[in-house]
Amino acid sequence: MHPVLARRIRVELYLAAWLPVVALVSATLAVPEHRGLLEGALIGAPLTLLAAFMCMAQWPMCRALPLDGRNLLRFTVSHVLSLVVSVALWVAAGSVVAYVLQHHPSFPDAFSRYRFDAPLISALGALLFFCVTMLSYLMISFEDARDAERLALEAQVQTRDAELRALRAQINPHFLFNGLNAVASLAGSDPVRARTMCVMLADFLRRSLALGGRREIPLEEELDLAERYLEIERVRFGDRLKLEHDIDPAALGCPVPALLLQPLVENAVTHGIAHSIEGGVVRLTARRIAGRLEITVENPADPERPASRGQGLGVANVKSRLASLHPGATRVECIESGGRYRVEVVLPAVDREPEAGATQTQSATPTSGAAVEVA
Amino acid sequence: MNASERIRAVIVDDEPLARQLLREYLSVHHDIEVVAECENGFEAIKVVAETPPHLMFLDIQMPKLDGFEVLELIDRDLAVIFVTAYDQHALRAFEVHAADYLLKPFSPERLADALNHARARIGKPSVVSATRLAADARPDRKPAERILVRDQAKVHVLGVEKVDYIEAQDDYVCIHAGGERYLKGQTLGDIEESLDPARFVRIHRSYLMNLDRLERLEPYAKDSRVAILKDGRELPVSRAGYARLRELME
Repeated sequence: MHPVLARRIRVELYLAAWLPVVALVSATLAVPEHRGLLEGALIGAPLTLLAAFMCMAQWPMCRALPLDGRNLLRFTVSHVLSLVVSVALWVAAGSVVAYVLQHHPSFPDAFSRYRFDAPLISALGALLFFCVTMLSYLMISFEDARDAERLALEAQVQTRDAELRALRAQINPHFLFNGLNAVASLAGSDPVRARTMCVMLADFLRRSLALGGRREIPLEEELDLAERYLEIERVRFGDRLKLEHDIDPAALGCPVPALLLQPLVENAVTHGIAHSIEGGVVRLTARRIAGRLEITVENPADPERPASRGQGLGVANVKSRLASLHPGATRVECIESGGRYRVEVVLPAVDREPEAGATQTQSATPTSGAAVEVA
Repeated sequence: MNASERIRAVIVDDEPLARQLLREYLSVHHDIEVVAECENGFEAIKVVAETPPHLMFLDIQMPKLDGFEVLELIDRDLAVIFVTAYDQHALRAFEVHAADYLLKPFSPERLADALNHARARIGKPSVVSATRLAADARPDRKPAERILVRDQAKVHVLGVEKVDYIEAQDDYVCIHAGGERYLKGQTLGDIEESLDPARFVRIHRSYLMNLDRLERLEPYAKDSRVAILKDGRELPVSRAGYARLRELME
């Protein structure tokens, strides 16, 4: 659609911009043969209005013929042809108006005078159409510049998203400090477990750092990271944290955005377990149904403490990340019922190796890749 | 305090390993006797009521009742050392009022320092009330979403939306919520300050009303009105209270 027609106010502005042209055309017609301003306006106004609508056709044509210097012949021929046809149509339309007008007793010579002025009117028309073509190209270049700016902004947002993911992977101080405190405690009472805990923490950090730099990973890797996280939290929370999972093997190969589930799993522990005296079960499920990947993260919910309040932010992030990757094809839903809080994530299940290039080299040598990033 | 008397300490933390570590570190300090370990705030309040300790190690992030809330509910004067992994919890307040704070993980030396501060603090009456300290220590000055009332060793947690109105009674406030009455040792002004001013209106010197409960206002006498609540109860509205109500309704 023509950009002017997109909004009513623009149509009004566009027509208002043509008012001075109406005056100009009317005056031009009125002056040479002293036919009077009224006769000039009666022919000039409908003629200008017609031009206003004809000029709208310039827009799609200018869009189709970009000003990039390629195919100069086609460009010139098209514009010249369009100009000639437009001017001819315009002059013809004017003569129809003049012909009708001469039947009125006040303007007996309207048609003959119009025929006499035809070259002037043609020149005026040619000038008008030329100016509008130039204006159209000006607008197009503005629009292109704006699009380029938007694209640059989007790219910037994506870069920041990647940076955020990398940051996310590193920083969760509360988790880290409490984990270290558990190590300190075990060092006195159970040195063997203290060592295991150290290795678990290091493994988790190394993996999340490596994953943070990637865009998409197989679900299997994401679940593996979640598992490691939950095992560490189990050392801290003891019997309060119980784990359950129900993973469809067919879902494991599906690519998911890296660290997509991690905030949900962390939420499940901090909101579902840490805020509950008795604790409960954190349950992870993944299924692949008819081209869709369905993942759920479920945790106990305290009826006195609306989970949506605390967990909302993490869910909103997941939602916006998925929406930008697969517009219109994803669903993230939170359901709180029967003392359980469940986040359901649905995204298209694609059968492809996640990101060829960069990722391939990383997954080929996972340890060295991770070591570089840590350093 | 008597030199021969040991300091009775309570450890409050929901993580078993964290409690175990503190107990281990404390074992070399012979003047400290760990009399109880509590997994959550409710247990802590019960222990404080039953066996008054001198010193409490208090975790902040705990289920149901956090460390600040526990502190608010303990009106007894005891030294508190906060133990937390979060350093953004308004540490300035602890530095001024609490005996000390420990950031997890901490060293035995750091604990020894904190114990020295606590020893100096024990036996001296506190300048600041526990309620005040808890209010100062709150990281956010957001209106409270629930009111905690201690009834001996039992704690009632009242969501503010369940409260109908609050009535001043000498040094106490009487909180009316869902047909029940709860007494709390606080002034009406203090509790008003902690609540959302758009929801709770001081309609009278002695009454703070939940605006959601108001059915209508009726004239009572010259210059005074009566508020009829949705359950039919009537509360007096003073002239100043009426002005505040009108301001809120507009």
